[in-house]
Amino acid sequence: MKTVLDLRDVSVDLPLGGFLSRARLPILLDVSLGIAAGESVALVGESGSGKTTLARAVMGLQPISRGTMSLDDQPLSTAADFTRMRRQAAMMFQDATASLSPRLTVGYLITEPFRIHGQPLADPETTARDLLAMVGLPPAIAGRYPHELSGGQARRIGVARALALKPRLLIADEPTAGLDVSVQAEVLNLLSDLRRDMGLAYLIITHNLALVRHVADRVVVLYLGRVVEQGPTAQVFAKPAHPYTASLIAAEPKPDPRQRRADLAIRGEVPSVLRRPSGCEFHARCPLARDLCRRVAPALASTGPGRMARCHFAVTTQQEQGEEHAVEN
Amino acid sequence: MTAIISVENLSISYRVPGGNLRALRDVSLSVARGEVLGIMGESGCGKSTLAAAMINLLPTGARISAGAVRLAGTDMLRLSPEDQRRLRGRSVAMVFQDPMTAFNPVLTIGRQLADFAGAHDPARAAPAALAAMLGRVGIPDPQRCLDRYPHELSGGMRQRVAIAAALLMQPDVLIADEPTTALDVTMEAQIIHLLRDLRSSFDGAIVIVTHHLGVIAELCDRVAVMYAGQVVEEGPVDSLFHDPRHPYTRALLACDPAVVDPASGRLPAIGGRIPDLTALPEGCAFAPRCGMAQPACASPVPRHHPGPGRSVLCHGAGP
Ligand SMILES: Nc1ncnc2c1ncn2[C@@H]1O[C@H](COP(=O)(O)OP(=O)(O)O)[C@@H](O)[C@H]1O
Ligand SMILES: Nc1ncnc2c1ncn2[C@@H]1O[C@H](COP(=O)(O)OP(=O)(O)O)[C@@H](O)[C@H]1O
Ligand code: SF4
Ligand SMILES: [Mg+2]
Ligand SMILES: [Mg+2]
Repeated sequence: MKTVLDLRDVSVDLPLGGFLSRARLPILLDVSLGIAAGESVALVGESGSGKTTLARAVMGLQPISRGTMSLDDQPLSTAADFTRMRRQAAMMFQDATASLSPRLTVGYLITEPFRIHGQPLADPETTARDLLAMVGLPPAIAGRYPHELSGGQARRIGVARALALKPRLLIADEPTAGLDVSVQAEVLNLLSDLRRDMGLAYLIITHNLALVRHVADRVVVLYLGRVVEQGPTAQVFAKPAHPYTASLIAAEPKPDPRQRRADLAIRGEVPSVLRRPSGCEFHARCPLARDLCRRVAPALASTGPGRMARCHFAVTTQQEQGEEHAVEN
Repeated sequence: MTAIISVENLSISYRVPGGNLRALRDVSLSVARGEVLGIMGESGCGKSTLAAAMINLLPTGARISAGAVRLAGTDMLRLSPEDQRRLRGRSVAMVFQDPMTAFNPVLTIGRQLADFAGAHDPARAAPAALAAMLGRVGIPDPQRCLDRYPHELSGGMRQRVAIAAALLMQPDVLIADEPTTALDVTMEAQIIHLLRDLRSSFDGAIVIVTHHLGVIAELCDRVAVMYAGQVVEEGPVDSLFHDPRHPYTRALLACDPAVVDPASGRLPAIGGRIPDLTALPEGCAFAPRCGMAQPACASPVPRHHPGPGRSVLCHGAGP
């Protein structure tokens, strides 16, 4: 399958502040990530793990300090590269309603990307109507203002705007945050329809694992700016290789009073990027941590076909499959 | 079990430019000591208005058109000075979704906790007592936390401090309005764990308002489902989750992505949106979105009681 977005060893660091200080604070470290045409990849991790920073770097809104990025085999490094890429890749920001200017009508707002990119529209009204139809909204909505929309409608407008220029890749930062489950379903179904109809590739950023299961072919887990696990979604959920992924999955409250958890899956919080722990940066919260983990940082290594994890004691899939065969035989 | 707090036939509306917005309609609920009640429903259904009424903190535009909120038998919404004296020492405390709104940004945590605690009993405002309470809600290094400012804490830590502040008032009823909505799943799990620990040591009642079904299932004994200002279904958490009777409850439970098999490809959504609360129909407010709607649903809806402790507001729920 053809790769649309390709990130190799991307690192981002920010100035630590202080007038004469040249010290920089690492936020993302050596993140590599590929998204194939039509593929949907989810980026997960607790707040502060660097998800938004990665999305901003891909869109050229945050300079990277190391590594390479490309879209459809075209490098992404100069300002001109990013201007060109913004027609092929679109970003949907976290709070769709807040990012819509309150004084402009929906019809104007969804055709704005054409104006921003200097593409004159012969018939803006028809274009607006087509875009509204694409996201399942009636044409009359074009005359409304953002505050007159429901949460789900505002999110749909966010999707319509992002897709106006027919991109190949959509980056969505927390696309359903703050929505009721009833509306969340509506937005997720829209995203999967558009993917089927337009062959769109997605990078979906979220900390909602239930959502990941529904929308992503593959999942990439970040912890303190590093990839700690990645692999096909169904496999990762069925058998997480990294204890952090396992803890995240176990932390999700189940909507069933008969499945109450007795114990806490994970304690504490993500440490500050100013005080990165020694060795494995997850060790202070890890149920499996041993002395080795406090001293030596594990590398990101293969744990099975298409799967990687950064843990000295990662669960490997070949072995598990071997055992299963043994049981079957 | 006797109720520690009860809401009786409460109706509340807001004056808005379009007319009279009916945020609560004939709501009745009660919570017993030691019990955890969950209130769920989509945004705009009146959950926060109900929570605010239970702590007598309604916004100025709110008008109580009928009903009462009784704490130990006394109507909190219409307190005479004499009742206020009688009620001294009894209280309802609240934890909000964004704890930042409950704190003053320019005062230290210690100073603010002292104010909460000292309002009832100066002895409880001693730093050692405050630190002990912070320790109880899981703040690491409570002594140092007392000298910090709210913005220096993470969202999860602020929510713990807000719970500590509420408990320092030694309330009979603790109300938490979306206490985990702004948090990561890991911190949400920790707050659920904390609240669950508290219920065994805390002798009052807890009311949790949330639209997150997982939080209800993990924590609550009983659940009330709200739609368009009414309690449309109520019951023990196990029977309500496993045998929902109201089509709205069924739809809400069915569209939670956590229960839907990913292989099915699509998530069930509830089409449409909650009705305009300034122009409610005489019949069932859910009818336009309901897959089971019948012509009868356009007429006033009876409340049925399909089992012990259960009630359902639906034409289709009758015997
Ligand atoms: N402009 C900035 N200045 C300083 N620190 C920042 C800035 N932007 C992000 N960070 C830090 O970078 C880390 C990653 O943030 P972010 O990418 O927003 O994470 P996420 O989206 O996963 O919550 C956090 O520790 C955050 O505090
Ligand atoms: N202060 C207010 N003035 C006018 N309308 C309000 C006010 N507070 C809430 N409302 C309206 O009352 C209804 C119920 O709101 P709320 O109690 O906040 O519901 P929920 O917490 O379930 O989202 C909504 O339609 C909301 O817009
Ligand atoms: S390397 Fe050690 S501390 Fe890190 S995740 Fe693996 S077991 Fe846990
Ligand atoms: Mg973010
Ligand atoms: Mg609310």
